[in-house]
Amino acid sequence: MSDLYLSRIRNWFLSSPPAEWALKGLRETLIGALKQGPIPRHVAFVMDGNRRYARSHKIETIEGHHLGFEALARVLEICYKCGVEVVTVYAFSIENFNRPQYEVDGLMELAKVKLEQLIQHGEVLERYGASVRVLGERDLLSDDVLEVVDRAVSTTKNNKKCILNICFPYTSREEMTTAIRSTVEEYSKSSAPKSTPFSQTRITQKIMSKQGGKSEKSESGNSSSGQEPTHNPTESDDNEDSMSSTTTLYPDSPGRVSKHGSNNVTIYPNAENITAETIDKHLYTADCPPLDVFVRTSGVERLSDFMLWQCHQDTQMFFLECFWPEFGLWHFLPVLLEWQWRQKKKAMEERPRQRVKTA
Amino acid sequence: MFKPRDIETYRRDEKLGHKLLTPEERIRLLKPYLPSPPLHPSEQANRRAMENEQRLGVRRLIKRHWHLLVFTIVHAIFSLYIRIRRAYHQVVNKISSVYLHHHRAPDLIYNDVKDLRRLPKHLSVILNLDEDARGGTGLAKLIEEASDIAAWCASARIPQLSIYEKTGTLKGYLPRVHRSMTQKLAAYFGPNTPGIGIRAPHCPSIETAQTLAASRIENDGLKHLSVMILSAEDGRDSIVDLTKTLADMSQRGKISTSDITIELVDAELSESVMGEPDLLLLFGPRVELVGYPPWQVRLTEISHVQDNEGVNYQVFYRGLLKYAGAQMRWGR
Repeated sequence: MSDLYLSRIRNWFLSSPPAEWALKGLRETLIGALKQGPIPRHVAFVMDGNRRYARSHKIETIEGHHLGFEALARVLEICYKCGVEVVTVYAFSIENFNRPQYEVDGLMELAKVKLEQLIQHGEVLERYGASVRVLGERDLLSDDVLEVVDRAVSTTKNNKKCILNICFPYTSREEMTTAIRSTVEEYSKSSAPKSTPFSQTRITQKIMSKQGGKSEKSESGNSSSGQEPTHNPTESDDNEDSMSSTTTLYPDSPGRVSKHGSNNVTIYPNAENITAETIDKHLYTADCPPLDVFVRTSGVERLSDFMLWQCHQDTQMFFLECFWPEFGLWHFLPVLLEWQWRQKKKAMEERPRQRVKTA
Repeated sequence: MFKPRDIETYRRDEKLGHKLLTPEERIRLLKPYLPSPPLHPSEQANRRAMENEQRLGVRRLIKRHWHLLVFTIVHAIFSLYIRIRRAYHQVVNKISSVYLHHHRAPDLIYNDVKDLRRLPKHLSVILNLDEDARGGTGLAKLIEEASDIAAWCASARIPQLSIYEKTGTLKGYLPRVHRSMTQKLAAYFGPNTPGIGIRAPHCPSIETAQTLAASRIENDGLKHLSVMILSAEDGRDSIVDLTKTLADMSQRGKISTSDITIELVDAELSESVMGEPDLLLLFGPRVELVGYPPWQVRLTEISHVQDNEGVNYQVFYRGLLKYAGAQMRWGR
């Protein structure tokens, strides 16, 4: 009984004007103080624990999701004030489609309503330079949600100051596979011939004719068999290999010459040029800075198919015990402080090592 | 932070499908909480804005100094807190390591874990090469740590172990690692030593004499422990290599891009590198995946002990406890 009265008294006290003013001043001071140190450029949040919070507080699970949205609004305000450039949140996983239908529908409704609101406040977002992006496999969304998503993204497309990435519906493996697929597609498109006075077809034909009659035989064999060089496999393969050996002297130049007819020579970009950066550029988060901080609430210590590729090297990961609807400045502050402290230590370690190396 | 009255209004509006307040009313509701908008370049060029800046210059300077002061104080308090936390954890870890010592007895270790709800079938650890160590002592320490972990795994009857070490030093000394592990297992188990097979991706495996080992085990202990050694090139780089191969095949017309599915990539990567581990142990003070293969770590439980330095048994044991208590929901 006394606990209930104490919490009510505490709430009354905290909502009184002097206490509110003091708290507000404290928050502003702390955020301003944090800004004096290094601030992460890209932060990722896994908004976990809405349903468990709802169950423990004996409210509906969909209420828990609404409270989770409010927590997200709080966190976004803090991140904006601190100067974080990109915030990525895990809203909905492709695995979550396995949940009961009414819950999935409730979440889709929530997303639609909130995105609609966002569209209505378009000029406010424009003033603050905030843009919203929705990452994930769009084909799994129903048409009405997709329409709202597209409108929201296109309304805020031109704002460049800070980005909110909503991963909805998203799985990191699916993102990586899509990146691989689009990289392979890019490298399977014949590169547009550059407009130099030298014709590449003429040069390649000259080189081919130098290699003697063998090339002419396989050329006729290729053009008759169409796409698949199945006839004369050894000869045509030898030809292709020798072709690539002559052209891979210059690794950046097109590497593979494939003959689809006697007149057309399609040149493919060299597959050896694919690096981790290439795949990076094909991810959904291509133009975002590298991930600095990864926060997961509700005590679960897994990645669960979120940002697997992005947080693989330097990202510091924090697993917090609180549930997502409770998350606020007082939980985020230690995370930021620890990150800043770690950055300072790294900078200090780099300096003596550089001194030793140069000495 | 938000006034309770405003929260109430917002929630009432939300329940009615946002029809209670018009957009303008909503913006008025939010206005006191919005931060000051950044200045547009056109406004900055405005002379009046410059004059305002000069007048507020002193105020801004004082504010900045005040913030710097608070920043220094907060960081001083924080580093004090971190030092206290580290000291506390060191004391607690020392006490629990004495209490939980394995005494090189596999039965003791198995006793610790046999009551757990579930055990990982594939355990993974990240080891760090001590780069400041002179000569070969860094490598020797790594091999010692790896052998310890292998011995604990064998005692706890975990059949598969993978060791990730970023620089790849361990990979270059597979026979030496194998010898050290066999010796350590012999020291732990005596005559009932399970067989060890060590491999690295794209390298042949080194096995102990299987027939002798298998015949000696009398009870139902672990018969064979397979160890996989990984390095940074098995992470992103192997995915890049797979992409190169797929691009090559697509250029030759052997596959089309729609054939590239998650299952294909998964099959290729688990075949050539390793499958998914159930539990990943980190022996450092913080959670950082220093290049660990990103594809495989999808649903892996990640365990670390805050402020812990170095490889010791109680991190291993606590990781297993955490794994046993973890709930997998599979998205539902």
